Amino acid sequence: MDSTGAIPIVKVSFPIALRARIGNRDSVKAVGRTVREIIDALDHDFPGLRFNLCHETGELRPFVNIFLNRENIRYLQGLDTPVSPEATLYILQSVAGG
Amino acid sequence: MANTISYAPGTVVVLVGTKRGLFILSSKDREKWDVAAPVLKGRRIFNAILDQRNGQRLFAADNGDFFGNFLRYSDDFGQTWQEPEEGIQFPEDSGEKLKNIWVIEPGRRDEPGTVYVGVDPANLWVSNNGGRTWELNAGLAAHPTRARWEPGAGGLCLHTIIPDPSNAARMWIGISAVGCMRTDDGGQSWVFANKNTRTDFLPEKYPEFGQCIHRLVQHSTQPDVLYQQNHCGIYKSTNAGDDWTDIQQNLPSDFGFPIALDVHHPDTVYTVVEDPQGRQNVSPQFMVYRTENGGEQWEQLTQGLPGGNGVVLGVLRHGMCTDTINPCGVYVGTNTGQLFASRDRGDSWSLIADFLPPIYSVTASVVV
Repeated sequence: MDSTGAIPIVKVSFPIALRARIGNRDSVKAVGRTVREIIDALDHDFPGLRFNLCHETGELRPFVNIFLNRENIRYLQGLDTPVSPEATLYILQSVAGG
Repeated sequence: MANTISYAPGTVVVLVGTKRGLFILSSKDREKWDVAAPVLKGRRIFNAILDQRNGQRLFAADNGDFFGNFLRYSDDFGQTWQEPEEGIQFPEDSGEKLKNIWVIEPGRRDEPGTVYVGVDPANLWVSNNGGRTWELNAGLAAHPTRARWEPGAGGLCLHTIIPDPSNAARMWIGISAVGCMRTDDGGQSWVFANKNTRTDFLPEKYPEFGQCIHRLVQHSTQPDVLYQQNHCGIYKSTNAGDDWTDIQQNLPSDFGFPIALDVHHPDTVYTVVEDPQGRQNVSPQFMVYRTENGGEQWEQLTQGLPGGNGVVLGVLRHGMCTDTINPCGVYVGTNTGQLFASRDRGDSWSLIADFLPPIYSVTASVVV
């Protein structure tokens, strides 16, 4: 929440693998005070998206990385990381697989 | 707009689930095969079936590497896919996380909307509307021994589901490494059906549960007769799983994954046993094994199958199936991407696809 009390609107950038879920776009805007709220808002607009990103038990999937600007939220406050209106969230698949 | 895909009645459609996509092969004569470009490209497809009880619907177990596991279905042979409205996701308060979707099984003929799915962690999911919504089977989820279930190397996977066509209340499931279980009350409760099947990897060799069953098939005309390929043996039951008889006989190994049956000659059973350490053909000659007398004696099937020092092949538990034509076709997919097929009950074989990704599952349907 910014100094005016308004809930931030942030840009969320998506990897190619998830763009079909959001109408074949590479980014959308979402409203929320934390990453978790952003994900909830996205799941409301694009049902099923939360399950793409998180396990049923709520934690982020192990090979999904979310960056708040340039910082991996795993090294901040995780899904409870607060966001500001000027921020961009980047959802990326990690370098893994085989 | 994509061209409409359809197959003439009588065409055999073979669905091959692989580490990197779903391949659809088709043939009108089981000699010349068309291999279509993969759908669900790049995804780990553990299992796929063609359900023809009400139209023609493909179901696929899409276990993505990154963004979750989804049961998907298609009514146009894979050109487009749908997700369930309420999919296979554990309740948040259950503490469970879906690891992999292992098997999809259509319900009985007179229940055309019913479809079953087995997953890791071992649970049974049921849809009664053709896959649109799914429910967790509470009886299995709340089994009193669940806290003591241990996984096999591939996970705690419910990999086999057999709805008894002769008895709507009866079903069997196979879980690694828990064993065979049976319900006699439509899934409300489940009992173990492991008597006389071994656990060579445990101090107690014949426990009530803990067996690593790999695959299970039911006799097509005698519903109480079952065959299972186990980590520690190959077995037959004539009493619905109440107990089992070891039918390894002259097979060179007790270890293997797949098992399949000729529905027209249901005492004819196929398996591919392996060296248990290397998980590969026992000798340099790759073989499929067949019994025609319900397990009293096994013969080696080799004509058209590769052999030599450089032949090292493994077949996973869903990697073999038969079709419903008489004489039956048999299909074997390896974990190195070769798909072999026989149109004469296994007497001779052809390599019908090569250079595929590792094959997880093979299912065959005759288009109606």
